[in-house]
Amino acid sequence: MPTVRLRDASEYPEPVQKLFEAAKAWFKYDFEQPPAMSRVMAWDPELGAFHGRAMKRAMGPGEWSRAEKEMVAAVVSGVNACAY
Amino acid sequence: MADDALWYEAALLVGITNALNVVADSPLETLEPVRPDAPAQAVFAEIRAFYDCAEVPVAFRRVAADPGYLADLWGATRRVFSDNRLTRRHKEALAFAVSVTTRSPFGTTFHLGEMRRLGVGERGVVEVLGVTQMFSSYTKIADTLQLEPDMDGIAAEDRSPAPGGAPPPRTRSPEAP
Repeated sequence: MPTVRLRDASEYPEPVQKLFEAAKAWFKYDFEQPPAMSRVMAWDPELGAFHGRAMKRAMGPGEWSRAEKEMVAAVVSGVNACAY
Repeated sequence: MADDALWYEAALLVGITNALNVVADSPLETLEPVRPDAPAQAVFAEIRAFYDCAEVPVAFRRVAADPGYLADLWGATRRVFSDNRLTRRHKEALAFAVSVTTRSPFGTTFHLGEMRRLGVGERGVVEVLGVTQMFSSYTKIADTLQLEPDMDGIAAEDRSPAPGGAPPPRTRSPEAP
């Protein structure tokens, strides 16, 4: 159970809604609610913007494909024992 | 990356990577035989050929006093790091990410060297490092707030059988007679 109340997407201001739309496009998946992590990062939009851009840059295709990078992300999450 | 086979392969690689790292990073220098016997030397030759290196990685040298164990450890290592559904190059990148995340000096240095030897450029190395760093951030934020998984619906379930096995039993819907 999260230690904070995760806000519904509708509780965020208009500029953040655009970030949620961008997240939906990134994942190519129509979420009922933006993923919990997206809503957490949107709590501080300034930090979220920096972090989000760094993440997008890290995950975008380059010498490795996005799929290969998703697997790197999964093993890092696994060894960090992160269920999320 | 939709097939489970790829993820099984990645998970087995994570396990072996960690197994090698824990021995290599521990203060176990005194376990390395000064003169490994002939069976161990034969395994060492295979290891050198696989990695195209003059010196056998320390993780293997430390278990060489038991050549049988060394041979099996090496067999498992060679199997998980060889080209299969995942390429050896990608596997070295995964092992590098695991080693950085677990703060393994041996694994980080060794797999960085292997990535470069297999043709990964500096940009490719930094890409893996970037993903590792970003997800070391996300995972801690998620853990701190105890977030529950909510993205498992993105990928479809893989209903293929185990290798060489039978198809999975058909699941009946609750409405079926």
